[in-house]
Amino acid sequence: MQDTGKNIIIAGVGGQGILLFSNLLSKFYMKLGYELKISDVIGLGQRGGGVESHFRYSDKPVLSPFIKAGDVDYVISFEQTETLRHLHGLKEDGVVFSSTYELTSTSVNTRLQKDLPESKTEMIKRSENETFIVDPEVHKSPDFNINKMMNVVMLGYYAEFRGYSHEEMIQIVRESVPEKFVEGNIIAYKKGTEIANAELASR
Amino acid sequence: MKTGNEFTAVKMMNGNEAVARGAFEAGVKVAAGFPGTPSTEVMDYTQHKYPEIYCEWSTNEKVGLEVAIGASFAGYRSLAIMKTVGLHVAADALGGAAGSQINGGLVLVVGDDVGRIAGDDYNDVRHYGNMFNIPVLEPSDSQEAKDLMVKAFEISEEYSTPVILKITSVICKTTSKVEYDEDYTYQVKCREIYPVSFSKVIMTTIMTKAKGSEHPKLTKCFNDFTANMKRLAQNSNDFDMNRLELNDKKIGVITAGTPYYYVKEVLPEASVLKLGLVMPLPEKMIKELAEHVDELYVIEDGHDLLEKNIKDLGVSVIGKELFPKFPDMMRFTPDVIEEKLVPNAPKRTPIEGVPFRLPVSCAGCSHLFISQILRKHKIKAAADVTCGLIGCFPHMESYSLQKCMGSSIALAHGYNIAKDHKENFVAMIGDGGFWATGINGLMNLIFNDSKSTVIIVDNSCLAMTGGQNVASSEFGFNYKPENKLDIATVCEAIGVKDIVTVDAYEFDDLEKSILNAVSAETNSVVIVKKPCVTKFKLPKETPSYIDQDKCVKCRKCIDVGCLAIESKKAEDGSVEIVINQDICTGCRLCSTACKFEAIKS
Repeated sequence: MQDTGKNIIIAGVGGQGILLFSNLLSKFYMKLGYELKISDVIGLGQRGGGVESHFRYSDKPVLSPFIKAGDVDYVISFEQTETLRHLHGLKEDGVVFSSTYELTSTSVNTRLQKDLPESKTEMIKRSENETFIVDPEVHKSPDFNINKMMNVVMLGYYAEFRGYSHEEMIQIVRESVPEKFVEGNIIAYKKGTEIANAELASR
Repeated sequence: MKTGNEFTAVKMMNGNEAVARGAFEAGVKVAAGFPGTPSTEVMDYTQHKYPEIYCEWSTNEKVGLEVAIGASFAGYRSLAIMKTVGLHVAADALGGAAGSQINGGLVLVVGDDVGRIAGDDYNDVRHYGNMFNIPVLEPSDSQEAKDLMVKAFEISEEYSTPVILKITSVICKTTSKVEYDEDYTYQVKCREIYPVSFSKVIMTTIMTKAKGSEHPKLTKCFNDFTANMKRLAQNSNDFDMNRLELNDKKIGVITAGTPYYYVKEVLPEASVLKLGLVMPLPEKMIKELAEHVDELYVIEDGHDLLEKNIKDLGVSVIGKELFPKFPDMMRFTPDVIEEKLVPNAPKRTPIEGVPFRLPVSCAGCSHLFISQILRKHKIKAAADVTCGLIGCFPHMESYSLQKCMGSSIALAHGYNIAKDHKENFVAMIGDGGFWATGINGLMNLIFNDSKSTVIIVDNSCLAMTGGQNVASSEFGFNYKPENKLDIATVCEAIGVKDIVTVDAYEFDDLEKSILNAVSAETNSVVIVKKPCVTKFKLPKETPSYIDQDKCVKCRKCIDVGCLAIESKKAEDGSVEIVINQDICTGCRLCSTACKFEAIKS
């Protein structure tokens, strides 16, 4: 069936490369001829604040820059506290892609607030939506720092899930990141496709 | 406005980039302003993409606007860039320009931080439209941001008035496609119509006293600004940027900015008046819509200004009674409109108890060192608008007073004189705040014989907005080494008795310097130097780690307020304090807070 468009929330904390992720993905969908609106909501504080990007592509003009709760097709999140913040917005058949990486909230560090009593990963798994969990500890590699490149790992993961052309996506990565980072990014991208491939085969 | 046939290129742009493109197409010659989220990047894009345009970050917004006003009088299209909080600083300059003769178009691009992205108190720039009786335009997407920019200059010249282009954090940070003429050639025109341009005080004095005179010495001072605005209001009924979309007769909505798109998505059948010019209002269009529909709503981000202005026209609309403004709602979302206007809309509620994130300083930030010393010695202090204000938040509690940019020096002085100098309430200020307006506070402090202590944090840039240049930076649009201002030299020239400069990372030195200054019998300045870790990408030292055998979990290191130090639940459920190895810069500040020598590197 023809893909008429999707609503994606990309989430994480400052410094995780959410804007690069949405930038790479936007170039891919532009090439496919879709209309796009991407709205970046950056939280207070330069580092470690919550960041979310509302990413919409469609074969018709996109109206609202924000995705209404209940209209989200995919949540792609690089930090699991942030994943939990967005689960309620998913459609019934919406899908979650989440890293288990966690940057403890300041309010919890300083005991201004209690942390959630249960494991966040389990809470995500338990959601009624289809979930794909990526644990950076499990996929650690000497070739690249997975914690710093989870964005590109997730891009590979997502592209594999959607059945997109890796060749085209890698070409976009090549054209978009500074030359000295290209190889590292491609390694991370391929890692993402491998993790996704193994996970999808097991389901 | 451009029609579909005139563009040759399509590009994804965020609102800030689109505004810069509009400035280029409008033939702007001079752009001046002061950084402020969300509109800082308008200047960055203008400077990087269109080097033909003269750009400067001025010392503050008032200066920036005055530069633009001067350039406009010279006959060239000029642009002032700031956020609404900055326009408060520049309001006097705007009041002077409002209603005066305009040669080259004068446009202010002002960013409203709807939704509190950068956390300032919620402001609405349209108040200035009402107060000074000047036009305000508001785009709904990037395409319109570019197109309205050009239109704003035409209006400025045609109706002899400064024009505000209101952009919001949503416009600034949303990327959408912009169609434009790739081969457009930049053209600057000099338009010298008026030999004089005076503030309203001078003009109205002459206009009212010499009414009917034809003497050229008198008539050259005439500028009938109220008539101009009436003419604009009348003509706005025919502007393309104001669009009446008559559909369903039940629900009608008057809206502007990105809320227009929320309305179109949630209420596709509704009749809509989409305003591009939000001040003055197109009365005829509003009344036509009001007659067409049973229920008329106004949906606007920010304060209830459209609503009030529409009601003043004698039209009854439903606004804040259905959509309460504060504190319930910071800005509109499609969800809010659906909840109120779509029957039986499903309600989605977020998971409860997901911890919130307070702002945190970057690991290795010099401000953390100062906060730590103030807290350690229980020194009472005022913070300024700087990255250091994070020290005001409840996880740090290093400061007890904080107001607007540049204020801390005068705040401390006021406190100290009221307390008869029996305690030394210290002022902390960043280099940006110091040059912006803080320097006035320092001059005031000296000639009024205050004994206060001022800590000036020199991180070589305006860090909070992403590292723009200030007067003492060693880079910048128009930077020349011989023109760089030096904070210590200026302080000395002003007459500060005791000035010391210290490296932030030399903890013991810094501690001693601050303690000496605070106990001194005279006024004093401590200049704390360390380039911003994020802007200048300072090289990282070996990250620190916590020896769990020695750690007693007193959490003193967490109180430092560094992003890298986390409280984690171990697998057995016990809590461990750990240092995030990817974030730690190895600055070793946390080790000064640990009595148990548990922090190692």
